[in-house]
Amino acid sequence: MEIDFIMEVEQRAAALDGLDYFEVLRLPREAGAADVKAAYYRESRAFHPDRFAALPSPELRELIARIYRRVNEAYTVLRDDGKRQRYLADVTGPDRAAKLRFTEAEEAAFHDEQKKKLEVQLGQTPNGRRLYAQALSDVEAQRWDSAERALRAALIYEPANARFKELLARVEKSKPKVDPYKIR
Amino acid sequence: MSDDIAVGIDLGTSYSCVAAVQDGAPQVIPNEWGELTHASVVSFLPEGTVLVGNNAKKNIITNAENTVYSAKRLIGRFFFSDEVKKAQAVMPYKIVEGPNNSVRVEVGGRVLAVPEISALVLKEMRSVAETALGREVKKAVVTCPAYFNDNQRQATRDAARIAGLEVLRIINEPTAAALAYGFGKDINQKVCVYDLGGGTFDVSILEIGKDVFEVLATAGDTYLGGDDFDDRIMSWLAQGFLENHQLDLRQNKFCLQMLKEAGEKAKIDVGRDGTAEIHVPAICQTPEGEVLELRQTLSGDQFNRMVMDLVQRTFKVCDEALQSARLTAADIDAVILVGGPTRLPVIRQSVRHYFQKEALTGIDPDQVVALGASIQASALLNEAAATAGQASYLLDVTPLSLRVGTVGGYTERIIEKNTPIPIEKSRTFTTSRDGQERVKLRVYQGESNRADGCELLGEFEFSGFRIASRGEVQIQVTFEIDPNGIVHVSAADLETGQRASTTIHLSSGLSEQDIQGAIDHHAEIELSGHRAA
Repeated sequence: MEIDFIMEVEQRAAALDGLDYFEVLRLPREAGAADVKAAYYRESRAFHPDRFAALPSPELRELIARIYRRVNEAYTVLRDDGKRQRYLADVTGPDRAAKLRFTEAEEAAFHDEQKKKLEVQLGQTPNGRRLYAQALSDVEAQRWDSAERALRAALIYEPANARFKELLARVEKSKPKVDPYKIR
Repeated sequence: MSDDIAVGIDLGTSYSCVAAVQDGAPQVIPNEWGELTHASVVSFLPEGTVLVGNNAKKNIITNAENTVYSAKRLIGRFFFSDEVKKAQAVMPYKIVEGPNNSVRVEVGGRVLAVPEISALVLKEMRSVAETALGREVKKAVVTCPAYFNDNQRQATRDAARIAGLEVLRIINEPTAAALAYGFGKDINQKVCVYDLGGGTFDVSILEIGKDVFEVLATAGDTYLGGDDFDDRIMSWLAQGFLENHQLDLRQNKFCLQMLKEAGEKAKIDVGRDGTAEIHVPAICQTPEGEVLELRQTLSGDQFNRMVMDLVQRTFKVCDEALQSARLTAADIDAVILVGGPTRLPVIRQSVRHYFQKEALTGIDPDQVVALGASIQASALLNEAAATAGQASYLLDVTPLSLRVGTVGGYTERIIEKNTPIPIEKSRTFTTSRDGQERVKLRVYQGESNRADGCELLGEFEFSGFRIASRGEVQIQVTFEIDPNGIVHVSAADLETGQRASTTIHLSSGLSEQDIQGAIDHHAEIELSGHRAA
């Protein structure tokens, strides 16, 4: 095994978490379906674990396996027009760093729901939880004053709760500024 | 390590076959008697030795209780599954329940796990290879149906380990067949592998691009095989006998075995000659002591009508595979037939009708899988294969969706079926109680939203992460399917990166300790019948 190749594997494995799927398959973003397949075959020929089954180093084999799993992941998304479109929007958007790995729509929805459920449950005291839940629904309905009151009350029960404080800060920021001195 | 050798083994429900690449060409290895395929039958002889293969098959009738066949139907299944219940009703050997709902076989006063039975078949294959090659064989590629789930794959791998073989790879039977067909041919084609074995049916659609074998989709039915064709003939024979003699042959396991043998023979005869003369002398005795014989003639038309619904079921599976691959039957350039039952004219005709083309000839449906496995075995051993341009790349897929159990008996999909493997996917789970110390996760395979419509792979328990208020600890669980199609689950605390320790419960498989015990035990078992020649 040439040293060049070992270095390439190590560099690629290290860089993997910063690459989007187009970069994983070394493809331009406008590549067509045939290009995607050709790239997939090319990367398979380069990194398929079967090719390296006889390599003595298990560490190197694991690095190659890691790269190849990502090649498969990339192909799964880019070969599917629907997924590819959504993915392209994700990685060209502002949240690119967090969205380099594709999540299914239903999965994302599932997570949002879970997160929401958890936030509703948050708080260590029954009163704190109740008030926080109320504040959350107020925020959703943009009743800023009511949300602020609920959160201030919640903080009486749980003065150290960082999440309460965080939401309060957000509410204060979102509240429409009424400047009493401004001449209309 | 060019002097090393690895064989390819097709571990079938009814017959097994072993092959190796010799002088650059894959070849099936015959046993001492020149037989190329060997019945997957294990017979425990009174003197303590074990007979495997075509000679053991003769013992299904004479030593019925101590002769195990079709073990592949039971491998990796839970004791409560339908397949096991069905087997219990018809098999002459005793099927009992083991720990964790696993299946055990009681034979010759011993209780054996199913992989231990399959290990004896593999041991025989190893012995056939060692005798013919004149050297020790320690490494193998073993095949399994594409539609096998994780439990079945793990059990197959365990069987090989118990037989003293290092498993280089578990590959899918249809993929192996496609490899045997396309290896070194420099073709660009879309092919369909129609694999009707003794107990399972698989369809894989592949795109072959020179040295790359990409599986586009796979579908199957692990409850459909040539045995079901035999069953139809058996039922017909038994029904006719009942009407003539008012005796039900199916009530007696001894008669049932003779009936089964007659059924299998009739199927082969009718396939080859267009008609079958069935004659079993002395199949049973009346209560008055009169010995009765069974005599029938089965015509080709009659047989075709009997099995037409089974044949049609295979094409439903083809539809499903083509749909998953987003192709139609007209897009397929070549059809490869695998498995003994595909010799039947009714299958050949139906395949021609469905794909509007002849299936490939010149491929032996009994040997093609072992040949493909041996090509892969040889490539996996050879470090220089890729640079020498001799490599081929099998890009296979997972046949079933991977799921986790959620509340209320539902499941949530993690990895979709027909996703290329190896692949990994992570999910983040949070604790739901303050001070929670462990998180449990049930992992399933299947296409149903409901847990009871899927196959349970096991319950994983993670512990050793930070203990904090609910929702504060985020555990990232990574699901990985390796190139063998076997599932691995690991977990880490997302914030600290600390790996959580994993324990598996509710698995039907063997523990590492069981396997080690079985390896030691099996090293002592002697295979009978090899020095006779």
